[in-house]
This record gives sequence, structure tokens and C-alpha cells, in this order.
Amino acid sequence: MSNLANQLVIAEREEVARAIRLLLATPLIGARTAPEAFDLVRRRREPVEKWFDYYCGWSLVVEPRLGYARLAKVRVADDPTRPARRHRTGRAPFDRRRYTLLCVVAAELLGVPVTTVGLLADRVVQASAVDPVLPPFDTSSRAERMAFVDALRLLESVGAVDVVDGATESFVDSADAKVLYRVDATLLMRLLVSPVGASQVAVPADEVPLRFTELLTRLSRERRYGDTDEPASEVQRNLWLRHSVFRKLVDDPVVHRDDLTPAELAYLSSPTGGQLLRRAADQAGLLVEERAEGVMLIDPDGVATDNRFPDDSGNAKIAALLLLDVITSAPGPVAVEQLRTEADALLGRFPKWAKGYRGEDGATRLVADAVDVLKAFGLVRLDSGVVRARPVATRYAVSRTSTDDVEDES
Amino acid sequence: MEAMRVPPEMFRFTTGERAELYVAILHAFGEANERLETALGLDDVRGRLRSLGRLDPLDDKDLTAALGSLRDWRLLDITQNHAEDYRTADEYERRNLQYSLTKRGEAALAGVVHAMGVLASTGALQTAVLDAIADRLGELVAQLGDPGVPDRRIFSTLVELEGHLEALRGNTKQFNGELQRLLRAEGPDQETFREVKSATVAYLQEFTTNLEQRAHAIANRVGLVEDRGVVLLRHRALVGAELPPTSGGDPAVAWLELRRARWEGLRAWFLPVDGGTPRVQQLFVVARRAIIALLQVLDRITESRRRSTSAAADFRELARWFAVAPTEEDLHLLWSTAFGLGSARHAHLAHPDPELVVSSARWVDAPPVQVSALLRSAGRTERFTRTGRVRDVAAVKAARAESARAERAALKAAWDRLDTAGGTRLSRFGRLDHEVLERLLDLLGRALAATPDRHGVHRATTGDGRVEILLRPPGAQHEQAVLRTPRGVFTGPDYDIEIRTPGGRAARRPRGPAEGAATTG
Repeated sequence: MSNLANQLVIAEREEVARAIRLLLATPLIGARTAPEAFDLVRRRREPVEKWFDYYCGWSLVVEPRLGYARLAKVRVADDPTRPARRHRTGRAPFDRRRYTLLCVVAAELLGVPVTTVGLLADRVVQASAVDPVLPPFDTSSRAERMAFVDALRLLESVGAVDVVDGATESFVDSADAKVLYRVDATLLMRLLVSPVGASQVAVPADEVPLRFTELLTRLSRERRYGDTDEPASEVQRNLWLRHSVFRKLVDDPVVHRDDLTPAELAYLSSPTGGQLLRRAADQAGLLVEERAEGVMLIDPDGVATDNRFPDDSGNAKIAALLLLDVITSAPGPVAVEQLRTEADALLGRFPKWAKGYRGEDGATRLVADAVDVLKAFGLVRLDSGVVRARPVATRYAVSRTSTDDVEDES
Repeated sequence: MEAMRVPPEMFRFTTGERAELYVAILHAFGEANERLETALGLDDVRGRLRSLGRLDPLDDKDLTAALGSLRDWRLLDITQNHAEDYRTADEYERRNLQYSLTKRGEAALAGVVHAMGVLASTGALQTAVLDAIADRLGELVAQLGDPGVPDRRIFSTLVELEGHLEALRGNTKQFNGELQRLLRAEGPDQETFREVKSATVAYLQEFTTNLEQRAHAIANRVGLVEDRGVVLLRHRALVGAELPPTSGGDPAVAWLELRRARWEGLRAWFLPVDGGTPRVQQLFVVARRAIIALLQVLDRITESRRRSTSAAADFRELARWFAVAPTEEDLHLLWSTAFGLGSARHAHLAHPDPELVVSSARWVDAPPVQVSALLRSAGRTERFTRTGRVRDVAAVKAARAESARAERAALKAAWDRLDTAGGTRLSRFGRLDHEVLERLLDLLGRALAATPDRHGVHRATTGDGRVEILLRPPGAQHEQAVLRTPRGVFTGPDYDIEIRTPGGRAARRPRGPAEGAATTG
């Protein structure tokens, strides 16, 4: 009996840990697109809800009947390497046009429970026409239709609209395509997680570019931590410290100590902070790696991540690892020029690498892509043509002793 | 049920400007009837009206006219009372007329009372009613099985059962009506509606819990009663009912017909004759659907309260920001901040034992994680997953392989030792290792368990079929074989024995099996 009970406890712990990491990877899990993940979150909803609420102050909404689970990840983003992506091969990031269209489409969809692609496009045309800031939407252009379809496909993928009949893709070929949608207005509204609505912090359009960072901060301001104008209470301050530290830890690949404010650093270094860090990681099935220069949470299963490094999925990643060796073994910062020479050598060494890197400036592109990979994992910084390794970079350095060689398992 | 035809003018008294008076008068008669006063004079009517709270003066002419109208609609009868003493002609005129309710009047009054009741009441789904039905059915089963139970008891139980069924029908009807109204209603006061709706959801959830078990129990008992005989039940109940005689024919026929109809109603609810869906099942479906619908409405109310119209405005504002954001990176930052749909990002390679490195060490001083050497040299990786958890199993594997090898070797040696390379006597084995004896005993056991063929030869093989043993009974000598092992002595009949192992080495002969009777297969 006790053995069975133990088994159940272990199973529950593992499921909770997995559910937490699944939500970290996909903050909106639909029952139709990911039935198993959704079922797991639904079953382990309570402890998972508590975990997010306690450590990160993020709310989790599970809708068993409507079939989705939504984790409201509130934070001021500082990592531009996690964009919305097109649902096509290549998964290129959204551009300005697509982001703009996405928002206009979402606004227009809110008013109608059911619509067709044609009617929706008309509404977007009208909405864009009356707003002086928005560029006009021209359905006669194929590129525009493509962008429109990409925006719709994103809404489709999260379940905010449901294709009843037809296929959105057909709109790319013809503006007369017949596609019928049903709109889930509630879910549509839940797509926005910022605690303050954009319309509440509206500023004149010409000021937006200048005050952009400020706008992001204002979007994310949460009342419960106290207003910035008046001094927050001790309780609110502590809550904020915990949540802000953990939001970074669970979302970012590495948190260097100089990324934190002095107060956050003090919190993380305190016995309480350390204890919580270990407990949170343990519950989520993550490993803690704490060093003098920073902390990182590692997901050995690679569930809570959109990307993996080091990995062999793509030439840029392999190049990134090899260039990182060059960067970490150099005594100081490395110029991009220098990396380019290395990249040339790599292209010579791996003749099968993609054609994309074969042309005139192939090496330049390879270096750029590789550095992007390294930046995305917080391993290097790039300023004005010079790449600087961050402290964490040395954890991927070539093994210094021969005994560290990887043994072949099989 | 055939269409209901209400007699003309039956409910005329409920309309028009004097309706209130008519209703009050009928009500007065109803009250009187309850006290077994069947006929009322003019003054009695007035007195009763007053006691019912109608205090405004009413002259004789109006009252008489009202009573007259009621009589015209055949709700009242007028009879003359000659029994009293009248002192004056005036008095006689006033008092000799007596009014009493007709059957139609009673029905009309009952109709009004019922209508008011329906208007005032709220339907309720009560599990208690279901339990009561099940209980009464259980009682009927017991009572039918016992001839000693008086018929009156059966009658009263049946009436109770029908009463509960009626209550269930009525309640369900009303509750369903209310539920549909509740689902339609979008009250101006959303807070109240929210409360009512969420309370209703809780109520329904409570009700549907165990509904299926209850319905099942009832259906079971219906079946049990029918096994005992419904006709018998009705007959005994009829006797117990002690129906009063009436003028128009035998009341028993109509009574029995009604009971039959009610029983059918019961079956329709819980155990339809045609095997269709029981109505109680529909109740379940309705309740479940209502729960879902109500929850959705609640959700909508909550959402709309939170950010209804502003959401569209927020999206529009965001569209503007996206349109004018300074750089490409800012677009992605705005996307992440406003939508929070991005993934977390984490490393997956870790030290086998992260605790080994102190947290005050610098990264550069800590050992690096193991990155696949293949990745660096050949640009591909051998897919380590869960690197952090994998223990070094090489030593364990080696140890296991070694022990497996040793085991195999020992086994091989044992077989080699036992291989007789032709027939021999059991006693020839003489001295054996204990392990080898165990093998031998296993083989002997298998051989003796097998039925001997017609020459009396037992033949068996090991589980894997690789070793074969042939055993023929000892000759007439009845000699005993004695085998010694380091742990003891084995004695038994001295069988002729032949053991063949794979790749048996016929060349090498174990210690002196030479003159053993040469057996062939």
C-alpha cells in the first residue's frame, strides 16, 4: 500500500513538474492542438497554479470545457529573440506589417461571433483607412494578403478563431476565398496579458517611438506591488522582489548577477531566496546552477525551452558552438572580423553545409547567425563589431582534461 | 393525452372589472367547504368575505348580482331553504336563498388556486423526491410479497408513490422552465444575475451527483414490483381504496385506468417499456447542458466586466504602436510584453552532479559541462537527453556481463559433467558438485514426471529444449544409487540414464560409463 502511495506521489511530482515546464514553453495550451499536454495541466491544475502564483505572480487559467489553459506571463520583455513566428516552413519571425495586422484583425474579430475571411478583410480595410497612423490594407496585393493570412493563422493556432469551413491559406491566392470562422472572444481577450491595457496608456502616435521603453514598463505595471509614486509597503516590496527575480529565472536561459537590481541580488543571495530557488526548481524539475557571476535554471529534458544549445539542428548552431570555443579561449573580446576568418575555415571543414552559406558573403552570414544563437542563450554580448563572452560562456568550453571526454554509450 | 377542453365560461369570473369580487366569493365558498359548510346564505357570504379581508361595503344588490352571474356561469347552485323560521316577508326574501358550489365551481376555484400557486412557486429538483419514490417502491415490493399486509396499506403506499411522482413531474417542469428563462435572461443588474447563476450551477451540480445511481435503483425496483404483478397491485389497491359509490357507473373502471396511466408515467420516467431513453436521463442531459451554458454565461459576464470594450481599443492601440515602433527588436519586445505567448528558454546540458561545484565558484573555474565531442568534430550529436540524471552505468554493465558470463560457464560445465555420451547407470556419477546435483535432480524430476513410453522409458527435455534425458527403470537388481556431494548424500533407485547435451562430447566419457547398457533412441 505505502509503496503504491509512494508511486503515486512520485507520479504526481513528475506530472506537476512537467506541467509547469510545458506551460513555460507554451503559455497557451489548447486541448485540440496539444491534447496530452492540456490533459496533464488540467489534471495537475491546482499545484501548478499555486507554483506560478507563488513564485512568479503569474495567474494560470484552465478552462476544461472551453479547452485551453492560459498562463499569463506578465513581464517587461528584454529579449527580442523570441518573436511571434509565421506558421510556415522556416518559421520566420513576424515583421512590422504582420504584427500590425494581427492587432487590427484581433480588434475587428472581437465584435463578431462568426465571420468570413472576406468580411474580415473588408473590416480591416476600413479600420486601417480611418486610422491615420496605420498603413492602409490593400487586399489586391499578394504580399499584403500573405501577411494577413499569417496573422490569422497565428490566431487560429492559439484557438482564438476556429475555421468552420475552408482554409485560411486559400486567401493568399484569391481575395474571393471562402473561409468561415467562429470567434472565441474570451480567448481573444486573454491573448493580452499586460495588466494595463494599451488604450489606457495611450500617447500621441509621434511620441510612441521616443517613449517606447517607458510604454512597455507602463503596460506591465501591476497595482499589487504598489505604485511607483508612493512608497510600497514591505510586504509589497518583498512580493515584487520574489516575483521579479523568479520571472527572470524561469524564463531566461541565464541570469547574470549584473542583470539584477541591487535589491533583487540581495534577495536572491539571502538564505530565504536561495532556499526558495532550490524548492521552486525542484518542484518544476529544473536544475540550479549557481556560480559567482550568476544563476541559471537548467531543464535537462529540454521541455521548457523553444530552442536548444548546443545542438546539431542547423549549421548556425554548430558554428555557434565552435565559434564560442574561439571566443572563450581568446584572452579578450573578439572582433567579428576575426570570427569571419574562423567561419571560412569551418565552411572549408564542413563542405556539406547549407548552400545559403556558400556565396560571397556566406561566412559573414554564418557569423551573424551563430552570434544570434549565442546571444539568445545569453552567452555573448555584441557591441560595435566586438563580441564579448559573458561569464556563463565558459561552461561550454572544450574540456580541459582528457578524462572528461564523452564516452560512447553504445 | 387528448386536448384539454375547458367548459365555456368556466373562467369568465377571472376577467373583467369585477373579477376580484368573483374570485373572493368563490374563495369564500371554498373556505366554507373546508369546514363542511356546503351552502351559504347572503349574509354568510358577506361575513366570510369580511373575514377574508374584504372590508369595503357591498350592498345586497351588488352581491346578489355577483352571485347571479356566478350562477349563470354554472359555478354556483341556488337552492331554497325552507327549514328556517322567517318573521317577515323581507327576511324571507333575503334569507331563503342558499348558494353552494357546483362541481364546476370547485374545479374553477382549484384552477385559480393552482395557477396562483404556480406563479408564486419556484420549481426545485430534489433528490429527496427520488429517494422517496425508491422507498415507496421498495415498500410495495415487500407488501406485495406478504399476503398478510392489508390492502389499505398497499393503497396508501401507492397513493404516496403517485404523489411523489407527481411532485417530481411538477417540480421538474417548473424548474426546467425557470432554467430556460434564466439562460435567456441578461439582467441589467449583472451582479445579481451572476450570483443567481452561479448558485444555480452549484445547485445543479449537487442534484446531478448520484442522480444516475438513484434512477438506476428506482428502475430496478419498478422491475421488482412488476415481477410481483402490477395487476395484482392495482387490484389490491382498489380494494383498499374503498371507493364511494357514485351515480354514474362503476367508479372502479376509471380508477383503475388512472392507476394504469400513472404507472406508465412512472415507467416512462425510469424504465420505458419500449426501451427508449428514460425521461430522468433527459433530466440529466438538461442539467448538464444548463451547467455548461451557465458557466459560459458566467464566464462572459466576468470577462465583460473585466475588459469588455477596452480589449478592442487595446488591440487598436497596440496596432498603432507596432506601426510606429522604432526598431525591429522593439516589435518583438512589444509582442512579448503585451501577449506573453513566448516560450521560456533554458539550457539542457548540466553537470552530472551539480552539487559538486560550490556556488561561489566562477564559471571559468568550474568544470565545463560535457558537450558531445561528436558535435564539435562531426557537427552532429548523439542525443543525450536528461544528461543530469544519467548515472555512469558502464561499471554496472560490465559487472553484470561478467556475472552472466560466469553463470553461463558454470552451467556449461554442469552439463558437460552430466553428459553421459551414451547410456550409463545413475550410480556411475558417484561424486558430484552440489550445483551439478541440483541440475541432475531437476532433470530426473522432469523425466519422472513424464509418462513412460511402452518400453517404460521416461523421456524429457529442459525448458529450453537443449538437454535431453532418457531414463529406463532399474533392472531386477533393485540396486541403490548413492551420489555424494560436498553437502550430503543422495540415494535412490539406480536408473539407466542417458543425458544428451548440445554439442555433446561423445568423445569424452565421464568417469566410467563404459559398460552401462547401451541404449538407443
